[in-house]
Amino acid sequence: MKRFFILLGKLLVKGLQLLGKNAGNLPGCILWTLTRHKCVSLFQVDCPIIAVTGTNGKTSVTSYVAKLFSGEGVKLITNSAGNNLDTGICSLLLQHCDWKGRVNADYLILETDESHVPVVYSQLKLETLVVLNFFRDQLDRNGEVETLILKINEFCKTFEGNLILNGDDPNTARLGRANPNNKNVKYFHAEPYAHATTQLFEAGEGRFCPFCGSALEYAYYQYSHIGKFACPECGYGTHTPYVTTTDIDLDKPSFRIGENTYTPALNSIYHVYNMTAVTAVAKLYDIDNRILTDAIANYTVKNGRMESFTLGENPAVLNLAKNPVGANMTLRVMNEMSGEKELLFVLNDNIADGLDVSWIWDINFSVFERVTRVVTSGTRAHDIAVRIKCAGYDPSKIVVRPKLDDAVEELNTTAGKKFVIANYTAVQPTRAALKRYIEKHGGAANEAN
Amino acid sequence: MKPIKILHMYADMLDLYGDSGNMEILQYRCKMRGIPCEIEHYSRTSEVPDFSSYDLIYLGGGADLEQQILSADLPRCSEGLKKAYADGVFFLMICGGYQLMGKYYRDADGNELPGVGLFDYHTIAPNSRRKRCIGNIVVQTEITGEPLDIIGFENHGGQTSGVTSPFGKVRCGNGNCFQSDTEGYCGKNVIATYLHGPLLAKNPKLSDYILTYCLSRREDAPEQLAPLDDTLENECRAVMLERLLKK
Ligand SMILES: [Zn+2]
Repeated sequence: MKRFFILLGKLLVKGLQLLGKNAGNLPGCILWTLTRHKCVSLFQVDCPIIAVTGTNGKTSVTSYVAKLFSGEGVKLITNSAGNNLDTGICSLLLQHCDWKGRVNADYLILETDESHVPVVYSQLKLETLVVLNFFRDQLDRNGEVETLILKINEFCKTFEGNLILNGDDPNTARLGRANPNNKNVKYFHAEPYAHATTQLFEAGEGRFCPFCGSALEYAYYQYSHIGKFACPECGYGTHTPYVTTTDIDLDKPSFRIGENTYTPALNSIYHVYNMTAVTAVAKLYDIDNRILTDAIANYTVKNGRMESFTLGENPAVLNLAKNPVGANMTLRVMNEMSGEKELLFVLNDNIADGLDVSWIWDINFSVFERVTRVVTSGTRAHDIAVRIKCAGYDPSKIVVRPKLDDAVEELNTTAGKKFVIANYTAVQPTRAALKRYIEKHGGAANEAN
Repeated sequence: MKPIKILHMYADMLDLYGDSGNMEILQYRCKMRGIPCEIEHYSRTSEVPDFSSYDLIYLGGGADLEQQILSADLPRCSEGLKKAYADGVFFLMICGGYQLMGKYYRDADGNELPGVGLFDYHTIAPNSRRKRCIGNIVVQTEITGEPLDIIGFENHGGQTSGVTSPFGKVRCGNGNCFQSDTEGYCGKNVIATYLHGPLLAKNPKLSDYILTYCLSRREDAPEQLAPLDDTLENECRAVMLERLLKK
């Protein structure tokens, strides 16, 4: 039966490719139904599997880790297209297995959706799990954050592989206690950067100790609830870091880990945390520091994170913000940008966005530095307009244009810098609309990264 | 003018789905009218305040873990809260806050958490955490004296029953239980509801109803609140009502 499913799956992949279509999720979805939801168990994988999960940053970290392992003669399989559910991973493996389901590779490096970690890795043997963070994200689809963490915690109770955890996120670090017999738990940590605060600045999860319920105490917050925390009652938070990032300077940008200085391609604190996680993987697998240094300095992932465009004459930056933490971070970057600028915020409420747009009220809009006008767009263009207005922004400077092309035209009726924020399903349509504008009015899409 | 005094309870714990936005909206609508508005916080580490000294007491929603922790703290507030309610202080409660003011909340694992017992309803969460009432919701309330559509987003596992006077009729969505006709609980000086969005974002008339009530308790009460430009809010309402109610 197994061989029949593999055969069928492969035929589906081939068929779709003949039709000029990307295999995507479809073959995986069909096998998922036929195997009674065990589609990943069809495969035999003998090489190490490294999985990356967490609310924010998993796409980036996965591609950096893949970059570390890539090289002459290395067969690496990774889901760079972001197909990170069991069905997507099944579709991916179908393209790389033989007729018996044996996967031919040296490494599997898989971005894995938080809610699918237990599903996928109860069927495939995982060597290393990297957990970046847990934030509010698409809550209504996944259930409350706590439920999600409990599910992964349940998985970790019997997991004996390498567990690389963000030691500065109380929601993530707690997984390190799930299996007291696992000797391979490793935490990464970062010393405070220049904008770290002693008070919580943005809405965050996990303000309470998951073990005893006391309020956690923080020496500093880097952003949201990420920072140096400890429980005054039971001592949770006193773990020893495996990797510590120090001397973070976002102006250069640069940071140090041990003896080595790195110059990352992006200058945000989130990116520094992502690179710290990547460094932990590099250390674990004994990757040559020159390879790591080069990847951190020169490699960037093209996925709507700080992408540059020129719209006619106007310089513009597009950034994805799929949850409050991402949006708050993006706003910090926008505010720190010198000179006046106009903001386009595109908000959709499709299924993959989580339907609920309440999260925009967790974005801290109270500080707008030199933002002269706001254009809103997307299926919830009006909601984001109301949100920004109630934060105290002059409503006469807010223009609502639900259709994207209209919004991009409106944005460019004035000259100057533009900053574009789009949520999950809005990013690709926004990018397309920016490109259509460029075709019509000139300018450039920055393909460099 | 004496400020409108709001007590935001457990803001550090009950803060799911943008519920703190309701505070931001009330503050905004006061500020635009030159009405001073003060928001104070109460959390587990605070001293028990004189609840009756406030105009409005607000509680947002939280996850099961937070509910458990709060349930342990609530008994010390219970008498004060009951007195404040009897004194006419307005209570606005969302989701978890709504549940905690009832008789009890039984969570998905069967743990029974006693509520304040201010109201007679109780809430039972289904055994499966997957079973939840999730989606956009429109509730028609008559609390302001005329039919008013309230637009929000519900996301709750708990099924609330024993409600004697619901907040409104469900026009689209689930309400107190799966597929129920009614949503929330209300009275002269209380609105308890499952609506996030946050609740007041798309419902400026409801915000003003609450503010009018708060002002009506004082001697120098203004006849009417000064009108505000709600063009953006009204456009937002029109778009959502068109989308949710056309069948
Ligand atoms: Zn503790």
